[in-house]
Amino acid sequence: MMAQTRREFIRKAAALSAASYVGMNLPLGPINLVLADDGVTWHRGSCRLCGVGCRVELGVKDGVPMGLRGVTESRTNFGYLCMKGMHFWKCMRHPDRLVKPLYRARKTDKFKEVSWDEALDIAATRFAEAHKAGGGAAVAYYGSGQALTEETYLFQKVMRGGLQSNNVEGNPRLCMASAVGGYMSSFGADEPIGGYADLEKAHCFFIVGSNTAEAHPVLFRRIMRRKLDNPDTVKVINVDPRVSQTSRIADMHLQFKPGTDLSLLNAMAHVIIAEKLYDAEFLKNYATFRKGKGEAATFVELQAHLAKYTPEEAARTCGGTFKPEDIRTAARWFAGSKGTVSLWTMGLNQRKQGVWANNMMHNLHILTGQLMKDGADSLSLTGQPNACGGVREGGGLCHILPGHRPIEAEPMRRQVEAAWGIPAGRIPAEPGLHTMAMFSALNEGKIKAIWINCTSPAQSLPNCTLYNKGLDREDVFIVCTDIFPTLTTEKANLVLPASFHFEKTGVYGCTERRSQLTKKAIDSPGEARPEVWMIREWAARLAKKLNDPVIAQCIKPFVGLEEGYALPQAIWDEYSRKLTAGRDSDLSGATYAVLEQMADGVQWPAPTAEYALTGGTVKKFVKGRDPLATKLSKNDLPYQFYGAAHEDRTLWVWLRDQANPEEIPDAEYPFYLSTGRIIDHWHTMSMTGRVPELLRANPYAFVEVNPRDAARLGIKPGDMVEVRSRRGVNLLPAKVYEGPVEGMVFVYWHDQHPDRMINKLTKDAFDPGSKEPEFKICAVQVKRASGPQPLQPFIV
Amino acid sequence: MPISGVVITSRPTDKAEVLRALAAIAEVEVFGDDAQGNVVAVLETVSSEEMEKLIDRISKNPFVLHVGLTYLNTEDEAERMARGEPLARPFGFRRPTGEEP
Repeated sequence: MMAQTRREFIRKAAALSAASYVGMNLPLGPINLVLADDGVTWHRGSCRLCGVGCRVELGVKDGVPMGLRGVTESRTNFGYLCMKGMHFWKCMRHPDRLVKPLYRARKTDKFKEVSWDEALDIAATRFAEAHKAGGGAAVAYYGSGQALTEETYLFQKVMRGGLQSNNVEGNPRLCMASAVGGYMSSFGADEPIGGYADLEKAHCFFIVGSNTAEAHPVLFRRIMRRKLDNPDTVKVINVDPRVSQTSRIADMHLQFKPGTDLSLLNAMAHVIIAEKLYDAEFLKNYATFRKGKGEAATFVELQAHLAKYTPEEAARTCGGTFKPEDIRTAARWFAGSKGTVSLWTMGLNQRKQGVWANNMMHNLHILTGQLMKDGADSLSLTGQPNACGGVREGGGLCHILPGHRPIEAEPMRRQVEAAWGIPAGRIPAEPGLHTMAMFSALNEGKIKAIWINCTSPAQSLPNCTLYNKGLDREDVFIVCTDIFPTLTTEKANLVLPASFHFEKTGVYGCTERRSQLTKKAIDSPGEARPEVWMIREWAARLAKKLNDPVIAQCIKPFVGLEEGYALPQAIWDEYSRKLTAGRDSDLSGATYAVLEQMADGVQWPAPTAEYALTGGTVKKFVKGRDPLATKLSKNDLPYQFYGAAHEDRTLWVWLRDQANPEEIPDAEYPFYLSTGRIIDHWHTMSMTGRVPELLRANPYAFVEVNPRDAARLGIKPGDMVEVRSRRGVNLLPAKVYEGPVEGMVFVYWHDQHPDRMINKLTKDAFDPGSKEPEFKICAVQVKRASGPQPLQPFIV
Repeated sequence: MPISGVVITSRPTDKAEVLRALAAIAEVEVFGDDAQGNVVAVLETVSSEEMEKLIDRISKNPFVLHVGLTYLNTEDEAERMARGEPLARPFGFRRPTGEEP
């Protein structure tokens, strides 16, 4: 029990900390901070969880992690943290941590502990066998937006350059691929033009398909503060079929039938054109128009295209839940404000027409000129902490190489091969299999060996029952790296214990193009090792078994380096200096030495250390603010859209249509099902489900039912409800409240219990462009099964 | 005894309601508030489990817009974990068949 005096010091330190954040003076004296910190060393890094990129310090006392505090100078969170971030320190010494390699020859056998030597040899042998039999097509890597950039980069280097396989994918395919597609096709380059700095200058927030208050709470705080400080001059428009915590600060909340938001966005564009709210000068200087697969179009064609998307028609299409005048108001606020920031996430991305939805958001900004100036941006919020930095930028998807290089472009492959010192022609010319195709290939036994890193597709894939069949196949060798057992490690042959955050060194790149460093602060438990060490050792063995010196070449720069710092630093140096230099995602100035000096990190492009130390590029494409815009300037205009995907160097306004989701309600399955996260739990709950305080608050998934639907179906709060789709069934306790729109139910997706794993019901239709699945919408039956039942939370 | 420092924010017009609600919670000590609707408080609970429940309860108050955490110290609990005391598992982690993992 803490001594009374020490306890008082800590209480006062906590009060002073919070007070300092809001500029409040407390008569407590700073001595308390010093005494509270007695014996504690604080280690700076990034939060492990969402895509905001909060900077934290982990408190360690006597080698034990025991506290967290925010970094007040960080331009992402200004020191604030959230409930999830506050508790992940407990994962570090949790008794369930994987601490030894585990192996079984058959998936029906029990796991036995093996040494690292044996484990890496097995991994190399099985991958070599698969490769000899089927080449690069027979092997695969499926990674994660939670893996460090160094991990993703090195894995894909060995896969592409070593095993000659572009079957490199990651779970951001399930969440951000449509955002990538949207940015590429609207702006010519991936990732936002602006970032968080726009929030404090915005006069209108357009929050669509995002429950920011619960999914990105620290960012929500900044929006909330901006609104509260300017209640009359700052407007917040929330567009979501579900009323959520985010709606509390909204001046206008528009609910709609799921999937009809495309018509709502087009209707806003209709109003913007009809009422001449567009920025003609901006359009003339910077925009062109596209239709179909990229054919040129004109403003007049856009106008004609949007003619049928009147506010009246959109209100009707959306289900009559708002008035046509609301769309006019929203459009006028959007266009007329001094600066509008849009924010969106899975509500728009996880859709069969996710790319189109993203295009339509960007359309509104391009039409109104709500871009480029401070306080204006179209800001896609990233879900995971390193989907941007590691996977989108580091070459972690089947169709792109590091540095935003499309695989299909031969000069791009040549550049990467030269940087790696491997023969020209080594990297296959065709993209590999995207995620859904990859797991279909497993189902068919076409992939014989797969490495799954830091993610649990057995639970996180849509229509997951189908893809579990492939994972169960005995002729598919599965290696999993993770920190805890998961539903996916249950399918593996080989499970390798990985170091957790702060137990290893590496970089995360967050939503706003900012890469930030976390240094090792504590040792890993047991025999857990960093992934970068595993990859190097595995590749060394692969090189011998396949008698292929090119595989050895892939890891040659990293041989013999100490794994806690020197090894990841060398990998980062190679990636940032050789693969990003000269690209739009240039991070060559952001060396470890630079990143270590910073409270937060560096926004690319940042081609020099001097520039990187200032924080990098706050606004892309603006001469004088973006070094590439200055360098690649072609004329006197202030904005230079040098994105490689648009050779004409313009922003593209796309003529897009309302299109239905793949599966909508009908007489047999009359409800929409949508899914999402709640603040307490993260993804598949393998981490947050092990933190008892988080588990207790929301021990299992609920189904949210609108009160009018509940009344019709005789469902009371706590009743057990059967939710059934064409693919599976769940039995869930009901929450009855004015959350989901009438005709829709909403289920949290974090539960591992087979009765409550909602991805058994979701549909695996995907966007034809981005290949991102439509998690957000499918059709279900809903009926009351019984009164309340006692339930046990379940975790592997 | 986990101890955290928090900034609880509401609309300025709702702050009085929030302060009333917080006053009724024994584990909360309010240290100050301002005209912008910010309330600075320290939360101290018997366990991390209770800390999380408390934060959740405050967050769900209809007048509270946001609970921002700035500092957390759980050294008591961390020391107990380091000594090998088992983590609280109020529900148990069981497979559907009832077997222990």
